[in-house]
Amino acid sequence: MIRYLLNRLLWMVPLLVGISLISFFIMHLAPGDITATEASFDPKASEESRQKLRELYNLDKPVIVQYGLWLKRMATLDFGTSFASHQRPVFWQTTDEQGNVRKGMIQQALPVTLLINVLSLVLIIAVALPLGVISALTRNRAPDRAITFFVFIGFAIPGFWLALMLMYWTGVANNWLPISGLHSIGYENMGAIAQIFDTLKHLVLPVFISGLSGLAGISLFVRNGMLDVLHQDYITTARAKGLSENTVVYGHALRNALLPLITIFGLSIPGLIGGSVIAESIFAIPGMGKLFYDAVLMRDFPVIMGILTIGAALTLIGNLLADLAYAWADPRVRRGVMQ
Amino acid sequence: MRRALSNPMAFGGFLIIAVIMMLALAAPLIAPFDPEAIDVKSILLPPSSTHWMGTDGLGRDVFSRMLFGARVSLMVGIVAVGIATLIGIVLGSISGYYRGWVDVFIMRLVDVMLSIPTFFLILAVIAFLTPSIWNIMIVIGLTSWMGVTRLVRAEFLSLRNREFVMASETLGARDGRLIFRHLLPNSLTPIIVSSVLGVASAVLVESGLSFLGLGVQAPQSSWGNILTDGKEYIEFAWWLSLFPGLAILITVLGYNLLGEGLRDALDPRSSN
Repeated sequence: MIRYLLNRLLWMVPLLVGISLISFFIMHLAPGDITATEASFDPKASEESRQKLRELYNLDKPVIVQYGLWLKRMATLDFGTSFASHQRPVFWQTTDEQGNVRKGMIQQALPVTLLINVLSLVLIIAVALPLGVISALTRNRAPDRAITFFVFIGFAIPGFWLALMLMYWTGVANNWLPISGLHSIGYENMGAIAQIFDTLKHLVLPVFISGLSGLAGISLFVRNGMLDVLHQDYITTARAKGLSENTVVYGHALRNALLPLITIFGLSIPGLIGGSVIAESIFAIPGMGKLFYDAVLMRDFPVIMGILTIGAALTLIGNLLADLAYAWADPRVRRGVMQ
Repeated sequence: MRRALSNPMAFGGFLIIAVIMMLALAAPLIAPFDPEAIDVKSILLPPSSTHWMGTDGLGRDVFSRMLFGARVSLMVGIVAVGIATLIGIVLGSISGYYRGWVDVFIMRLVDVMLSIPTFFLILAVIAFLTPSIWNIMIVIGLTSWMGVTRLVRAEFLSLRNREFVMASETLGARDGRLIFRHLLPNSLTPIIVSSVLGVASAVLVESGLSFLGLGVQAPQSSWGNILTDGKEYIEFAWWLSLFPGLAILITVLGYNLLGEGLRDALDPRSSN
């Protein structure tokens, strides 16, 4: 297992180098000097931010030196400070001479996005697994048709539109759920349980929206996985042994159909993180997606580059965890690598 | 082709796409109003016999804007996927045919691209460029070629050792002939299926970007940016949100049905 882990970690090195190159390339996308794209009506402010960009990314130095310095920033996770007037550190908190701590922007936004994504995954597992199994067991009959119809709609429905509709229906027309932000007014004065309840109420819609397409995908995946597995010889054997249908379906078939799900979850991480932009900006949730969107609108380059890098790093970590979980669950994978 | 369309799913999808394409192409002929003409006397009118889908906050006719928006969706979807498919075919062919270090390099590049959240990547690139329909198409194309690349490579790897390819190679066929005569034509089915499904997701991405104000810019209309107005007026003007959302839903559904139907009809393995 340890050798497998080391092996996997080693594989991440070329990926990290690639990510650094791509982000460096994006930094130099704009024609000529990247500072030239800074569109501002105030020539003084614009000149100032140009100067800041030049300093931040050392744009007056040779390209190779710039890249080296960018690598150093990535390695030390130091993405500088935001261009916005508050000038907060992009990634993690800093302490100045007076001992004042300034929280990092990603530091504050990341837990929110992770919470939403973890809750979405829980929702996906809780709903998609039963749907997929029911669909497979009632193949081509009414329940399966209904679920497949739902899956196709789930794939095709634009999340931001559904978000708008639900916002209108549950928030504006009926006042059942709060429609923006993470906390109600007066959150500070609530008791601990009321606080948790309040936050959860704010998270219902965002979690549903960010989980929806995953939900459709995983249902379909579980259905097809189950159908494949149910045709295997060992299922026939299990039935022939006289095991009950429940033991066959849930003990033998489902367990094997679920294995590839681990990998699918790993692969779905970049989509979930990227998808947070839409859900979070519609519901004004202060997570990574909203932070990124605001940064794009403001052309706040240090924040953009920081989130891009951290997002990629999260994906790599997620894939690593998924691979390890797979290796833990399926000894064939471990052995295959060890030989 | 006949076999493909005898599949009811594929046929339904094909029908939806065909109707939308015709409406989009005929937009200048059938649109009752100029989609960009502002009319302050008819602001936020509900649907009626003159304005079938009502008017928006600037008095523009929503039905006409929807028709012209269909052109944007179709064009972005098709051009973006065209770019992605072309890159995918070239890189996948090189990777699967020549193997060796080129293959390793290209596959690592795919891994790198897949590890950066795509929507972040697209937004980051757009932050450095000016948002316009051309930039959107190019950016979506340049960030969605990884799937096709892997697919073409896998097809090539499995076809490479089949008898008819080896026979041709033994007879002295050159690389170009092997690739274009034998390998590519036999990989066409999965490429077409993945392109059709790719158009569906490109349409979703474009409308999302336009909705966020980072895609097609006003006054040019796109389903996404009509919805941005819809959000503004959601309490008073349901028609501004309902129609563009439905249009996106139906279009994406059409491409998905067509893609999945084609897969079922053309690939005997998947029909379980």
